[in-house]
Amino acid sequence: MSNIVPFFEKMQALDRRYIYLVVALAIIIPLLIPFNSKTYVTEPTANVYKMIDSYAGRSDRAILLSFSHDASTMAELTPMEVAILRHCFQRKVKVFTLCFMPAASPLMDYALNIAKEDYDVQDGIDYCNFGYKPYGLFLPILLGMGDDIAEIVETDAQGRKISNLPIMTDITNYNEMNLVVDFAASSAVYSWIVYARARYGVNVAAGITAVMAADNYPYLQTGQLVGMLSGLKGAAEYEKLVDVFATHKNPDGTIGRSYSKEILQESWIKLSDVDKRVYKTARIGMNAQTVAHVMIIVFIILGNIGFFLSKKKKEQEMM
Amino acid sequence: MKRQIPLIIVITLGFMFVAHTFIPHKASVAFYDWWVSWSKAISPFAVILGIMSLTMVHGTKISRKAPNWQYSALTLFALVFTGASGFIWGTSEGTPFMWLFKNVQMPMGSTMFSLLAFHIASAAYKAFRARSAEATVLLIAAIIVMLGQVPLGMAISKWIPETSSWILNVPNLAAKRGIALGVGLGMTATSLKILLGIERTYLGGGD
Repeated sequence: MSNIVPFFEKMQALDRRYIYLVVALAIIIPLLIPFNSKTYVTEPTANVYKMIDSYAGRSDRAILLSFSHDASTMAELTPMEVAILRHCFQRKVKVFTLCFMPAASPLMDYALNIAKEDYDVQDGIDYCNFGYKPYGLFLPILLGMGDDIAEIVETDAQGRKISNLPIMTDITNYNEMNLVVDFAASSAVYSWIVYARARYGVNVAAGITAVMAADNYPYLQTGQLVGMLSGLKGAAEYEKLVDVFATHKNPDGTIGRSYSKEILQESWIKLSDVDKRVYKTARIGMNAQTVAHVMIIVFIILGNIGFFLSKKKKEQEMM
Repeated sequence: MKRQIPLIIVITLGFMFVAHTFIPHKASVAFYDWWVSWSKAISPFAVILGIMSLTMVHGTKISRKAPNWQYSALTLFALVFTGASGFIWGTSEGTPFMWLFKNVQMPMGSTMFSLLAFHIASAAYKAFRARSAEATVLLIAAIIVMLGQVPLGMAISKWIPETSSWILNVPNLAAKRGIALGVGLGMTATSLKILLGIERTYLGGGD
């Protein structure tokens, strides 16, 4: 005991640069040497997947992906954007992208370019990037899309008139573009809930950074959010869903199968089974997150042992 | 007059938007369409205003050789260079603008956000102590939620992610809902005060 106390007293005064070094190693090593860990899909993520999948092959249904974040939160949000886009391209779901932040515009191109690489999809037919719109137009566009998307958005990122694009056939307003997924590191999704959901009944889902996820639980419980992808974990779950169902190769040569909870529980996809690294970014990231969380928990426990030992020693000295 | 005219604009337009929301009359729709067209025209001026403000602030720092004025020079150079590369070569894949975004903006942004992990780890070690009953509850809840967020939690026990989910869905939700209700009531009260001209701090001080 007498040997342990000075050790923990030293540990209490440990230079924080050593802590930074341990954290850096705990994150870098799992990223360089990925290991297989099982991804468990939560209900809010599965709900987003099921809703998007229900639009498969329908010309009168589309989804809108709203990019409300900048490059700082790409590590968490881009993998989920890519996974959802892949799902849409694979299952022939019409998809629109839009942003109201200048810094988010290249992120839309980035995610689209990664996702469409393996698919024969065409801009204006299978997907359409509405591009960046000034934030001053956020509310007019958000509300205006409830009446006529082509009229309020007018042009896409390439300056083409939206009403002339083939993708707009059978798509007029939120009745058809019936799901909005907002990717944000903030509370941007609330505007979609307050205005688009309350007024036009559009389904709203959130793809959000882990630190903001706790704020959204009241909206999940009430059903105002149909689902939520929470941080890197949510992205890893969606990647798994795409691999297990949307891109599944059936024995008859066809691709894709319907969602099933039983199949999901039995499925075990190793990282080595997924060819492209960009399709398993979140799952590799979860390795680093696992080790980092364990490190933080170890730090908390060590800190508290030191705290209680020092406290006890002081009490004994007082006596 | 400097305060009265903005006040009249805010109150008049405020009540008109309230009317538009609750009265779906032809005149109300026409007013809304008129406002949308004005919004589109006003937005580019906000960008010009932003560029002017940035140039003036940093231009002054450079001309006065204020401490760290070199950073201001770099900011203005980045503003001109990034903007020019976007205007000249476009912003699509393979252009200098996209190169800058991928090789400067993305790593810098990610670096800033990733610092959070280091600070959380350091703070957890140095400050997260079970000093009281409340702090102990917080500490245990944090450990369960952290384990519940990673596959390891499920590997240890099914009980960990279930408890993590309960913490987020019950106590966390109750607190968040309480805060949301408070914020909602506060926003309603403040909006009413602005509409009725009682709250005027947004006009700034002095005449």
